[in-house]
Amino acid sequence: MKIRTFPLLLLGCVSLERSQAAPVDFVHEIRPLFEKHCVSCHGPEKQKGGLRLDIKKAAFTGGDDHAPNIVPGKPKDSPLLKFVGGQDPDLLMPPKGERLTTDELALLARWIEEGASWPDGVDAEKLVDKRDHWSFKPLASPALPVCKNGTWARSPLDSFVLARLEMEGLGPAPEAERREWLRRVSFDLTGLPPTPQEVDTFVSDQSLQAHERVVDSLLASPRYGEQWAQHWLDVVRYADTHGFEVNTERPNAWPYRDYVIQAINSDTPYDQFVREQIAGDATGKDAATGFLVSASVLLPGQIGKDEASKRLARQDAIDEIVVNTSQTFLGLSVGCARCHDHKFDAITARDYYAMQAFFAGVGYGERDLQTPDAKAARKEAAVVQGKIAEIDRTIASFVPVAFSGAKRVPVSSKINTDRFTPVKAKHVRFTILKTNKLEPCIDELEVFNTQGVNVALGLSGAKVSASGQTIVADRHDLNFLNDGRYGNSKSWMGNETGKGWVAVEFAEVQTIDRVVWGRDRDGKFFDRLATGYRIEVSENGENWHLVADASDRSEGTEKKVNVSNPSLAGLNPEEVRQIKHLLNEKGPLVKQLNTLNSQQKVFAGVSQKPDDIHLLYRGNPEQPKERVSPAVLSALGSLKLESEAPEQSRRLALANWIASPTNPLTTRVLVNRIWQGHFGTGIVETASDFGRMGAKPSHPELLDWLAQEFIRSGWSMKALHKQIVLSATYRQASRWNQTAAAKDAESRLLWRFPPRRLSAENIRDTMLAVSGELNPAMYGSGFDLFNKRGGLSGFTPVEFFEGNGLKRMIYAHKVRREPEAVFGAFDCPDAGLSTSRRRESTTPIQALNLLNSRFSLDRSAALGERVKREMGPDVLKQIERVYQLTLGRLPDSGEVSDAKSVLETHGIATLCRAILNTNEFLFLP
Amino acid sequence: MIPTNAEHLSVPGRLLLDRRQFLSNSATALGSIALTNLLGLDGLLAADARPVIDPANPYAPRSPHFPAKAKNVIVIFCAGAVSQLETWDYKPELIKWDNKPLPGGPAVTFQGEAGNLARPQYEFQRRGKTGKWVSDLIPNLAELTDDIAFIHSLTSKSNTHGPAENFLSTGFNLDGFPSLGSWTTYALGSENQNLPAYVAIPDPRGVPQNGANNWGAGFLPAAFQGTTMSSLEPVRHLSAAGITQSLDAAAKALLQRMNAQHLEKHPGNGNLAARIASYELAARMQLSVPEISDLSTEPAHVLKAYGADDTTNKDKAAFAKNCILARRLVEKGVRFVQLFNGAYASGGKLNWDGHNALKEQYDIHANVLDQPAAALIRDLKERGLLQDTLVVWCTEFGRMPFFQKGAKGRDHNPDGFTCWLTGAGVKGGVSHGETDELGRKAVKDVHPLYDFNATILHLLGLNHEKLTFEHNGVQRRLTSVEGNVIKEVLT
Repeated sequence: MKIRTFPLLLLGCVSLERSQAAPVDFVHEIRPLFEKHCVSCHGPEKQKGGLRLDIKKAAFTGGDDHAPNIVPGKPKDSPLLKFVGGQDPDLLMPPKGERLTTDELALLARWIEEGASWPDGVDAEKLVDKRDHWSFKPLASPALPVCKNGTWARSPLDSFVLARLEMEGLGPAPEAERREWLRRVSFDLTGLPPTPQEVDTFVSDQSLQAHERVVDSLLASPRYGEQWAQHWLDVVRYADTHGFEVNTERPNAWPYRDYVIQAINSDTPYDQFVREQIAGDATGKDAATGFLVSASVLLPGQIGKDEASKRLARQDAIDEIVVNTSQTFLGLSVGCARCHDHKFDAITARDYYAMQAFFAGVGYGERDLQTPDAKAARKEAAVVQGKIAEIDRTIASFVPVAFSGAKRVPVSSKINTDRFTPVKAKHVRFTILKTNKLEPCIDELEVFNTQGVNVALGLSGAKVSASGQTIVADRHDLNFLNDGRYGNSKSWMGNETGKGWVAVEFAEVQTIDRVVWGRDRDGKFFDRLATGYRIEVSENGENWHLVADASDRSEGTEKKVNVSNPSLAGLNPEEVRQIKHLLNEKGPLVKQLNTLNSQQKVFAGVSQKPDDIHLLYRGNPEQPKERVSPAVLSALGSLKLESEAPEQSRRLALANWIASPTNPLTTRVLVNRIWQGHFGTGIVETASDFGRMGAKPSHPELLDWLAQEFIRSGWSMKALHKQIVLSATYRQASRWNQTAAAKDAESRLLWRFPPRRLSAENIRDTMLAVSGELNPAMYGSGFDLFNKRGGLSGFTPVEFFEGNGLKRMIYAHKVRREPEAVFGAFDCPDAGLSTSRRRESTTPIQALNLLNSRFSLDRSAALGERVKREMGPDVLKQIERVYQLTLGRLPDSGEVSDAKSVLETHGIATLCRAILNTNEFLFLP
Repeated sequence: MIPTNAEHLSVPGRLLLDRRQFLSNSATALGSIALTNLLGLDGLLAADARPVIDPANPYAPRSPHFPAKAKNVIVIFCAGAVSQLETWDYKPELIKWDNKPLPGGPAVTFQGEAGNLARPQYEFQRRGKTGKWVSDLIPNLAELTDDIAFIHSLTSKSNTHGPAENFLSTGFNLDGFPSLGSWTTYALGSENQNLPAYVAIPDPRGVPQNGANNWGAGFLPAAFQGTTMSSLEPVRHLSAAGITQSLDAAAKALLQRMNAQHLEKHPGNGNLAARIASYELAARMQLSVPEISDLSTEPAHVLKAYGADDTTNKDKAAFAKNCILARRLVEKGVRFVQLFNGAYASGGKLNWDGHNALKEQYDIHANVLDQPAAALIRDLKERGLLQDTLVVWCTEFGRMPFFQKGAKGRDHNPDGFTCWLTGAGVKGGVSHGETDELGRKAVKDVHPLYDFNATILHLLGLNHEKLTFEHNGVQRRLTSVEGNVIKEVLT
């Protein structure tokens, strides 16, 4: 303690010495001191706590929390001195490295005492105005550049590219062969190669409109929306599981995926596309807001029970929405400002929380679709549900009454009914005397009154108690006993092996005649089953009366008894006949119900009362500062809402601000994403970062020209595609050029078309297309890539695909973080984070997968069979067909003879297997 | 820089592995720096020592930032949060406080209401020359304390398994960030070109809570994702089922001819050549992976020392085989091996998540971990491998000094827990940092897991602040914007 108070004492002495010394000289005495002790953390590199001491203005403004840090004339009131003096040991500065000496402390104190004179113009660094940034400025209307080569350009777009090449002394590559362009544009727009027929037609169509005809037809194909939706889903990290802790299935996410495909296929104007994804619930586009909740999220059961854990989880969940919105539409990484003002961009922590406030009322969850179809389906489902319930009740009533003398069926791990003479009760107690294994587990305890209503439901006010329990987050909890949900993951588990009890108290006294219970109605678990039990009832909770037990049940346990196949033992022939009749009625109803239910819901967020959003100190929910109301980024606009603004209106306001032609980022970001989709790299290489740390545009005028064109076209993505793929720039060959490569190895300036490998999805889809197996069906709940649709681990990949499994890969059930077993290795994003651009990597695992997987072998065989079927026994024709289908060309004579010898010795599947692995097959020409 | 077995490669393959050829040919590396400057990325490149990855040979060994103490790493990752109080962090004071409430303690923790303080569930003994107190739960590992540097004062940013395992493995709570092994192999490549650079070995009982995210490459190139293999599950697609050797050879030969012709017509595309090379690497893996997984060549005394011959406990035997596999991998120069002990949340049945019946379950789990893991470290030492190999023992967080109400187990505690290091560059017999006298919170030399990861990178010769990758506008690091190397545990 002595050491810490020492500098304080010293401060007191300063004024005594002052008059005897010359005034402190900032440049020679104070700045070196700052540079020695402070500037490594509070200078150009880092500005910890928002403070920097190398620039006059910034130094006097001060840091985030203790500003101003220097109070001229008042050393005692200057936090800076307190910190370096070590008054508060937690805030001692510098925290590491050499402390200030007593002389230095005295000098600093004297400088402040004397008025902290800091001459202007002596700083080495200048404060940068973060708002002065190209992408924050309005779109320019650049003049068309004049090029030396006056004949090459087909579109104004080309003039910008050519002018830039000429500036470097470079020129474009010659035009690609027609066949190459066709293959390129087909993959680019639809993700699939042209058929041999399409190749022939185009190559022989010498009319001036030939290219345009192809492009129009590709853009009109539903395959186009499938291809470009994938680009979009990469950015929004779409998946069909919840991610994080348990990664369980998110069963109704897919309507959003389908929405994106439909919207792109119907060329929904992009401004509308933006509005729908942020606030589509206002215009009947429910599935569109799946965008908001596409991230991983902790489900309620996985969040800690302490309040701090809940607050943190909620913050994380809102953060994901803010990050998604700003990076997808605006190309800005605002997430950094959650903890501190953005280091490089003009985004303050306040901006960040003001952005949060727009989404403060968005919860992660499913919503009823409000389309007319969904409404009708819901109505119908309720009716069907009622019919099924009626049948079930009737069937269940045929169970022999307990203690009637008839032997009852053995206990089943799935479901058991104990029927008894109607009795008045307010309490039911289920006591377990024995289990087949471990602590007992019951997934749901249902008690029916004579009207057939389950009166034990928590929702109807019944309360549960138990001898004890084993809680496992989101799996076992006493509250799951009467929550109306079935299965192991919604069950109660006792805490003693082979015994325990649970009890239900109804809201009021009921006349009951049946208890229905099970260990796991989903039929996956067979252990923890009560094999010995007693069911007692009571009106007052004191006098108990036994109504059923296991003594008249047959020995043993059953695994597979289910409601659709009830045991008929102990029933008379008439009852048996009735049951069979009812079951016949029920089957189709269940099917109908499943179909109806799958059309009603979408995981697209729920609108709730907005949380109060506060500025959080260092992003810590436990350290809230002032309340913040919705407002757009202050560097870009002035839109601000009342802090009490209704939920949906907040999102609408934000959506309209983003989807405005005057927003300088929205159109630039989108046209750049589309450019990237065609050329592999955008005009701005960092497609989701248009901030100061992002790359500068390679062709800034072109970017603005495209954005202006885009707005003029009515925000039409199809018009933009057409503009690009018909350009001379896009038509170039991918030919290598040593001179150009020396200046620009990655062909960012587009001295050629930059070749690239097909994406994971395109490879799979194309293999299926050429083998003739691709199922063109669109939409719907995803097909399985694994043996299960979500969960912690143990995903066994599906190896044989048929039916829906042969649809395009965008229709697969996407399990977050679980790479698909064959194609995942081809840089397929795992939906953990946003992927603004896929990186192309090459690994031996890719080679093993593509060579040896069951999928590849099956496609090789199917392609061989297809070709034999179509071409007959002529080997030459077969070889030609394989080449045409896979590579879009005929083989030369050398290739024919090589292929022929392989085919004749090793069979056509061997030839196909090799070709499906070639670079020519896998690269865009 | 040319791998020793380059002579087995085809002509295009050999060309590719010639570094100068690669640099002059490739579309990815130095050639494009001039233009990169033009596009405003110069600051990014200059600011850090970013590795240059040869696309044809992503696992080529690369130099560290400074001379490394450790060449390889084995991480023993105990999933589910091992209680520090039952293992390495001796709290005699807790015995006195047994069954008393913690004054001022929280009413509710992660899983529910807090109960009374509970004494360590195992006896502790002094061990080794330093007299380090370690519990009887892990008698074999306990004998190694003279070689171990313990860090008793680690903290995590989450008290939930999934995010906390992410935080331990990737430096971020959220999904989708590259794992420690990916960063390491991205930076350093591997010493063996016939095996994956980074191998993740799942526990026989299943994978940890966050599954593949623990060995994911995140936004780093896919080449740096961990390849999973274990004594129970070999690498997928090593061979083509039902395809005879002659069919296989014919297909590969034809493929090679077609690719070579194509490359001739399309010069200057590094990625085409890289794919050709990748098939040759794959062919070598087809031979070397089955060989490394074949433990039948291990002598009986080795199997016995690890407990791989234990017929009474199949989990232990399988984990022991995984430990032997880990040794064989680093022996062959594989850079990074992650050895998992414990699976996912299961009420503590399959991992160290002892909420309810801690002692009962830990008896089982420790039996699986202790002998095999201790044998691994001993074996590495005897073979001289520990001089180059860093062994990390870690878990995502610790457990509370009190039991949960109505249960005999401890809830999640991210505020003070223990992990340790041994092997290359690590000072043995060190106990660094402290929790309070009841083991509730770290109080002395507190280190967020950032520091732990920074220290591991440091031992590999990597500056955690310089090892960066640009993603969506942010220069990402394993340690976010944090991290201080824990110098006290270094030799």
